[in-house]
Amino acid sequence: MNTLLIFLGKLVMNISRLLGKGSGSTWPGHIALSVNPYFISELSKKNPHLKIILIAGTNGKTTTSKMIATVLEKNGKSVMQNKSGANLLNGVASSFVESANLFGKITKDAAVFEIDENTLPLVLEQTKPTVVIALNLFRDQLDRYGELDSIAKKWKKAFSFLSENTTLVLNADDPQVAFLGEKLHAKTVYFGLEEKGETASHLQHASDSIYCPNCHNRLEYKKIYYSHLGVWSCTFCKLKRPQITLVNTMYPLPGSYNKYNTLAAVLAVKQLGIPENLVQDAIATVTPAFGRQEKITINGKTVQIFLAKNPASFNQTIKTIADMHAKHVLFILNDRIPDGRDVSWIWDIDIEKFLPQFSSIFIAGDRVYDMELRVWYAGRNKDVYSFESLSDCFWNALENLPEKETLYILPTYSAMLDVRKVITGKKIL
Amino acid sequence: MKKQTITIGWLYPELMSIYGDRGNVICLQKRCELRDINVKVLLVGLQTTEKELASCDLLLMGGAQDSQQTIVSKDLVKKKKTLSSLIESGVPGVYICGAFQFLGKYYKEADGTIIDGLGIFDLYTENPGNNFPRLIGNMAFDASGLLGIEKAMVGFENHGGRTYLGMGVSPLGRVIKGFGNNGEDGTEGSVYKNSIGTYSHGPILPKNPEIADWLIQKALEKKYKQSIALSPLDDTISQKAKQAILQRILK
Repeated sequence: MNTLLIFLGKLVMNISRLLGKGSGSTWPGHIALSVNPYFISELSKKNPHLKIILIAGTNGKTTTSKMIATVLEKNGKSVMQNKSGANLLNGVASSFVESANLFGKITKDAAVFEIDENTLPLVLEQTKPTVVIALNLFRDQLDRYGELDSIAKKWKKAFSFLSENTTLVLNADDPQVAFLGEKLHAKTVYFGLEEKGETASHLQHASDSIYCPNCHNRLEYKKIYYSHLGVWSCTFCKLKRPQITLVNTMYPLPGSYNKYNTLAAVLAVKQLGIPENLVQDAIATVTPAFGRQEKITINGKTVQIFLAKNPASFNQTIKTIADMHAKHVLFILNDRIPDGRDVSWIWDIDIEKFLPQFSSIFIAGDRVYDMELRVWYAGRNKDVYSFESLSDCFWNALENLPEKETLYILPTYSAMLDVRKVITGKKIL
Repeated sequence: MKKQTITIGWLYPELMSIYGDRGNVICLQKRCELRDINVKVLLVGLQTTEKELASCDLLLMGGAQDSQQTIVSKDLVKKKKTLSSLIESGVPGVYICGAFQFLGKYYKEADGTIIDGLGIFDLYTENPGNNFPRLIGNMAFDASGLLGIEKAMVGFENHGGRTYLGMGVSPLGRVIKGFGNNGEDGTEGSVYKNSIGTYSHGPILPKNPEIADWLIQKALEKKYKQSIALSPLDDTISQKAKQAILQRILK
């Protein structure tokens, strides 16, 4: 039966490519799974040589996946991946449809899948991954994911069934994620930063997990890197940040958040036996994934897109562009399903101290006036330009941009796809 | 005249602020500053004394995750007397989602477990369990129970519990679109003395400045024992934001 499903799936994939529709990365898998719910499980059993690497976490999945795939490919391994954003079961199944022959055989060496938070336990039921990465857990889309605690609980349960053939790569600096490594059969390794951090008085407002995941008392922080990530310990139950397996590497992309992504990627590929020096050579060649610090030149001017989809990602992004001396920004706030329909989160971001350095602020998106109101309440009302039409907004912002300057675009997820379409004239997903 | 000052008590900002509730504080602060009213914000946490809490002229409390709500409920028992006398004496406040439920008599979990509330508001909440969907989405309601006029307010709700009002409280208003207290009786939130309970985050105050100003006015009137008329502010952007979402959800 899987032969038929793979055949059908490939057909759908080709048709949707021919028609230029963006649905080719989920539909084939959707069809396969609705006929055979064990499709993923059967194909992964049929290909025991295939090393599966799963990447989960609120922020950084796409960039980390790209880093891992780059390092593996530079070292002569063939890699299959789900398309960025197609990170539910149907996206994973589609990737199997694409890479398998009609007998279900896959010739690739490794599968690198970024996985949605809620989907991770389902994928773990159906596969025996070599490596599972948990990057971080931040508040994101409460209307869709529910609360952080409930995701952490689901993960903890799913991880308890992993065997010693799986290595979990965990963020030691995120208390809730680090705690997932307690009492497991699976092997655990940890990454974390060792550098100058803020003192505990600088805790950002959008700090989610500052209470002990074990005993619920307030954690002590020796250092804070951002949000609730840092060097933490609980003075009550003595739980503390685990011993770090990897503290340093070379970092190809700016921003603290990318340091974490890089550490996770390096630690993951090491588990696959790639020698240290070759990992470092390959990681140096990593370029941004689309929409994540991606630079585009248009009409002789430069724009750079920084996905900013939740408080932690927005805070990190605005700090990164401020460090890059950004002067012209465009915020795009959408509230579609992939963005989260609830836009309350913009009141958890810390923008007040950065706004004065921008000489122009353009705003667009489904919730353009919500964002404008946020900016107004942050004390900024001069040189703020809001537009209901994203296209009008973008072209005006570009027109306004002096030569040699860069327009920094901070969109939510669907807004990132929209603005790329406006810029390049093409749809990508 | 000496400059007026109000102290805003923000209850459990680290623990009960998961839905952008800080926006309410930012909004009240800014609207006071624009009118030359001094604002102090007291972050009320586990270490705050009852005396400090008693100095507040206006109170705010938001929603939280379950585990954090447990930490707060233990601490609130200690502060119950002070909080209760503030509310009874007419200190205005807004209590959102989890905080709204806390103020009621009890919260009944799906398995029948009863968690006692503070019993300040005459209401109770029941969680019907996982077979019933959470009530999630953009909402519109009038705040007729508060402002006496049927003007649309907007917010976003996300709650599993269903709240039922007793005779001792009035609804904040009627649901125009969305679920409100329980998705059945068409009420949204509640008003008791000068305290507002609501399921509307979004956050509620920046997009509904009428409610923000009502709170500021009540706080000043209580503190300075005179009637207060606040000077109007330019709310063009918040009205645009409100109209945009109303147009979409009332289609």
